[in-house]
Amino acid sequence: MLKTMFPTLGRFRLMVQLLMLFVTVYGSVFVGSYMADKLSNALPALSCAYDQMNGGYCVLIPTQHILHHRIGEALVRAQQLTLTMVLPLLFSLLTFFAFFFVLGKAFCGWVCPLGTVQEIVGKLGRRLGFGLRRLDGDGLPAARRARPVKWLLLLGLVFVLPLLTGLGVTPHALGNPYCDICPSRVATTLLTGNTEQLALRLGDGWSFALGAVGDFMLGFLLLGALAVRQPFCRICPLLAFNALFQRLSPLRLVKRKHDNCGKCRICSDACPMDIPEISSEDGRKAYAEDCTLCGRCVEYCPQDGSLQLKWGPLALFASSREYYKARAKGELPDGTVKPLKFVRPPRPAAKPDA
Amino acid sequence: MTTRFIGIALLCAALPVAAQQDHAGHAPGRAAGVAWTAQPLLLPASGGRGERAAAVLRPSGIAAATLDVYGPVAGPQGARQTVAVDAAGARISSVTPKIGNYHWLVMREETPERVKVASTAWYFGNPGPSPTALLAEPKHELEIVPEPLPREHGSYRESEKWRFIVRLRGQPLAAQALTLETEFGSRSTFTTDAAGVATVLFPRDFKAEAKEGGHGRPSAGFVLSTEKESDGVRYLTAFNLNYGPDADRQRSLAWGAAFGLLGLLAASPLLRRRGQVVAGDADHA
Repeated sequence: MLKTMFPTLGRFRLMVQLLMLFVTVYGSVFVGSYMADKLSNALPALSCAYDQMNGGYCVLIPTQHILHHRIGEALVRAQQLTLTMVLPLLFSLLTFFAFFFVLGKAFCGWVCPLGTVQEIVGKLGRRLGFGLRRLDGDGLPAARRARPVKWLLLLGLVFVLPLLTGLGVTPHALGNPYCDICPSRVATTLLTGNTEQLALRLGDGWSFALGAVGDFMLGFLLLGALAVRQPFCRICPLLAFNALFQRLSPLRLVKRKHDNCGKCRICSDACPMDIPEISSEDGRKAYAEDCTLCGRCVEYCPQDGSLQLKWGPLALFASSREYYKARAKGELPDGTVKPLKFVRPPRPAAKPDA
Repeated sequence: MTTRFIGIALLCAALPVAAQQDHAGHAPGRAAGVAWTAQPLLLPASGGRGERAAAVLRPSGIAAATLDVYGPVAGPQGARQTVAVDAAGARISSVTPKIGNYHWLVMREETPERVKVASTAWYFGNPGPSPTALLAEPKHELEIVPEPLPREHGSYRESEKWRFIVRLRGQPLAAQALTLETEFGSRSTFTTDAAGVATVLFPRDFKAEAKEGGHGRPSAGFVLSTEKESDGVRYLTAFNLNYGPDADRQRSLAWGAAFGLLGLLAASPLLRRRGQVVAGDADHA
């Protein structure tokens, strides 16, 4: 039964993504209006507090708020740096990492609603035959060049600016700047039929400009995802947040080098983040900072046991030649789906005239 | 150069003060005047970022020596805390230290013939349980219970419909009149259905002179009130909080859509068909 419903890891992941998209965007319809309150301390899901129907909460919001409202303001009051100030931040981080302990970076590849939306658009792009543009050329791969951006966004927009705003150095409009540019805020609220977050706030230059950046990015990723896989994930500060302690999570990608590694590169072709290290490196280096633990590289590795998704000592899914052959029959590593062929049955041969 | 440095230093020194004035915290908001209603109210008397863990509320249209604060979980003295009211008002804080979320505040003025109750909700910024249980528990005879309260980042707003349950001794009260009055002079009456629920439409009546509430957003007061005679006692209960302007007053959907379209246009070159086989297809097909 399960085998029929989920013949591949990819199908299983798609079902989990769709379920989580529903929970993180419309969850409160089933569990009540205060779902976000209940879950906010336990489920740092990228489903923002601006969406009044969701069932989740993005860890980036409490982080910005604590730096803005607690630490910055306490410093303004010239208090000493005490546990009272730091504890709320520590608790936010601890709850985030408690969740992270279970899921690891798989949050990005399995739960994030914006990741799911981009992936669905990407599938549509493959169906419509848009040429896939990879961010891995010869020489220095473009995917690598984009990597520092997510760290800069995490540092600047999630940590530094909210703290400076709490200190009173920067204007109040910069209190949660990442939320203001976050395309997921706009996307998830639009999915509930609410256009308020798409509309730009007037009367304040900073709010207008930040909101404009968010809307621009949403437009860009919605169309761009037809040709580039997961365009926003590459600069998402939540991926950077996850990558901070990816080595501490029991859930991880494990690679055992094979003689063909670095030659066939099918795993890198299958990777929605265009990570070249999966094929070129081995051991810890193969589990790169951009990895979202989606498992596609494991599915498309033709070598038995070379790539594995593991939780602690448990191998959850391992590569195998047989699985690869079956998987590649339905979908190519880059996501291209083999076209359906409608073949007319051959006409019966005309009978010779009697 | 020196002048510029002094100017920047002064600006930096002034900014924290300005930010403190700008930010009223996660409070339901402020309402300055009471000329707009004769109903009993509980109004925030202080703001400022330094008072996030505590607040002062002053009564209007009601006189009592104490104010009851109901928390979402029981503290050392139970789930209810009674605080004294002095000339400045009643100073409240979380019933349980470090446990925030919504608290329910009740002030009661009583004579043998009449019970007057002012109630409101107060949001403390620390994490805490949702107010479901807090609201479900009967706290006095005639109650106006929000169903639900706005979530964090949400608020009552113009043109929105919100549900309120009217209860008498914990039981829903059908066909009961519930009157809404706003700081801008609107007045309307709604009637509860069989389940005791009244769906209240907040009027579109915001004016330019609206004061700033939490997060520097415009905010104004409203009060819902209802009266009922039971067992020879006349009960009057009011629930007051703040509401904000309709989002479309401060936002432009056209500008938002324009920047979204700009993003679409910027991404369109990515869709140009390059007329080449996608790398890998030939290898893996």
